[in-house]
Amino acid sequence: MNKLRFYFFHLMPYPHIPPASEIQSTWVSLSNKYYDPHRGHSLYNEYLDQLAAAEQFGFDAIAVNEHHANFYGTMPSPNIIAAMLVQRTKEIPIGIIGNAIPLHGNPLRVAEEIAMLDVISGGRIISGFVRGIGCEYFNNGIAPADSLERFNEAHDLILKAWTDDGPFTWQGEHFYVPNVNPIPRPIQQPHPPIWIPGQGSLETLQFIAEHKYTYMMVFSPLWFTKMAFDGLREECQRLGYDAPKSMFNACVPTYVAETDEQAHREAKAHLSWVFNTGLKIPDQFFFPPGYMSTKSFRNFIGLLQKGKVKPQVNLTYDEMIADRYIIVGSPETVKNELGYYCDEVGAGGMIGPGSPYGPMPNWMVMKHMQIVSEEVMPEFREADGLPDYQRAEPNSQRSRAELAAVKGKPEETARSRVTGGGARLIEHRLAHVAEVIDPTMEHAQ
Amino acid sequence: MSYIDVVEKIDIPRPRKHYTEPSFEEVLGLPVAYRREGAGEATVLFHGAGFTRMWLPFYAMLAEKLDFVAPECPGFGETPLPQWVRGFDDLAILYDQLFEQLELSHIHLIGFSMGGWAAAEFASFYPRRLKSLSLITPVGLRLDDDPGVDIFQLSPPEVMDRLFKDKDVMREWLPDGEDFDEGIHMYSEFSAAARLMWAPRYNLKLEHRLQRLTCPTQVIGAEEDRLVPNAMSDKFAVVLPNCRLIRIAGTGHEPLLERPRELAALLTTFIEEATQ
Repeated sequence: MNKLRFYFFHLMPYPHIPPASEIQSTWVSLSNKYYDPHRGHSLYNEYLDQLAAAEQFGFDAIAVNEHHANFYGTMPSPNIIAAMLVQRTKEIPIGIIGNAIPLHGNPLRVAEEIAMLDVISGGRIISGFVRGIGCEYFNNGIAPADSLERFNEAHDLILKAWTDDGPFTWQGEHFYVPNVNPIPRPIQQPHPPIWIPGQGSLETLQFIAEHKYTYMMVFSPLWFTKMAFDGLREECQRLGYDAPKSMFNACVPTYVAETDEQAHREAKAHLSWVFNTGLKIPDQFFFPPGYMSTKSFRNFIGLLQKGKVKPQVNLTYDEMIADRYIIVGSPETVKNELGYYCDEVGAGGMIGPGSPYGPMPNWMVMKHMQIVSEEVMPEFREADGLPDYQRAEPNSQRSRAELAAVKGKPEETARSRVTGGGARLIEHRLAHVAEVIDPTMEHAQ
Repeated sequence: MSYIDVVEKIDIPRPRKHYTEPSFEEVLGLPVAYRREGAGEATVLFHGAGFTRMWLPFYAMLAEKLDFVAPECPGFGETPLPQWVRGFDDLAILYDQLFEQLELSHIHLIGFSMGGWAAAEFASFYPRRLKSLSLITPVGLRLDDDPGVDIFQLSPPEVMDRLFKDKDVMREWLPDGEDFDEGIHMYSEFSAAARLMWAPRYNLKLEHRLQRLTCPTQVIGAEEDRLVPNAMSDKFAVVLPNCRLIRIAGTGHEPLLERPRELAALLTTFIEEATQ
């Protein structure tokens, strides 16, 4: 197994908006009149090309996510993007990290779509679940105060839909489904791997430990990531098991170029845009009332007041570097930093190195991917340089011949009574063969 | 976990001014906080989404001539928010039970802002309990043309600014910005308001149900309300049977704090007339 996995993550931003100093927010209130669909057409396709290219560069997975009514990440329906990636790639796992499950009227839709993607892709889907950030609740009729309850119930419904034989009835507090019987079922058993992105709240860590899911720490200073990872490890131990390293992923915007100076020169404007413009969000949008429990809100405001964390929109580039919200440098510098994450912080995977940021031009993204794959990744890989998934057996058969050889004939197949066949059920695959329909014909000759 | 200051129970802070110890009545398993003073016609007020835990000068003015009762809505002041309170219908049932226990069989009901919505809902379920209904800058109906500003998209200072016309009065009532616990409590109360009002911001059924009222009703709007459009009180006045519409000049959404004397006089007179 490799020491560290590298996940290529895209937010698909739409960066052609006024500067941060001229807008109240990049979310909720900034008018969609700034979205030019023709530029959007070009951007979406450029981004899809970048994601597909990640397979050739040797990343461990490619990943997308869901956000609404903003210019920071323009994938209100990440499953649509994932469907295109399934078609553009061959073997690489595809992460949807994640679907904002409390926002759906019927979460079964997510169970169905993920199962479709998993079946079509041959079992390559990583399924993330999120609540969506506070802003998300302004563009639908779901009260932020119901968000956590809806998340928990939607999660339970989706999991049961994937793992129990249907049909069954779901009688919940927020969702009622008279007949749960999703077709298709996912290939990966008992269900696709589940990732939970978060920012270290105790409730999230307990949820992950309880279900043995994979954690993804989002945009945080190093000390905070370390504390959250320690916290998760403790929670797992409390439940009687040692958390494997693969449970811990850190999403740390990282940029690598030929030298330290060159890396800073190239990355500074774009990484700053992500935090200072892309995440320009007034508090009342970020924490709509009830989105956080009063207890969690109290803890968070306490940390802000003690100066332990700073609103991301106010972070200067130097502070991002100093507190290690981001990693920027030469291959040597970045290898050292990632080595620290791997050995000292206990990360099993990084979401960041090789990825694009904000308005970064395509050529720079491609250059970044190449440097990371050729000069950083090999340090953390076994001698063959392969991502782990290429050393493992694929989750599904790659050809009809393989399917036939491995699985043989299906246990049940289409059969009907046909004219001339009497009372017998004839298999459809043979229903055009006269001797099969009427066996007496053979003897009559 | 070392970095999180885990708090099991958050004590409810007391405002610096006008705090009084409430009484509690156990209703359907919920300890409901309320304050009650004075003698006369039994009169209940449902508060808006803030300025709780206080015996406001306005309340004292009403208690001069009335048996005045001010309960605190679940999630506000010192009444906890139970899981089962999810909408205004739950509140109506809770208050009916509270009134039963406090032996308030027939009352004059006043509702302010969010409490105006709660009062309208109560009236639609229990019209025979009411001797009169007064709504002060209420919310709860659908305005077809312009729904007005989305209060949940406003920052706390913007909310304060829109609540008051008179900025001297506003400064007098501003919570202490340095008071950590008070800030957290405000978030908690706003969370309760959001549970009741996030979506939709109206109840279409009220327009139908309120036809059942037979008691005198009045709506008191504020001429310079910058939080809720005046069209809201206009519409309530059309929907409510036997309704008179008054609009106080020169005040914002908060006439309780901006014009307590004038408002108390309006209400007391109305209640006296309704009682005769």
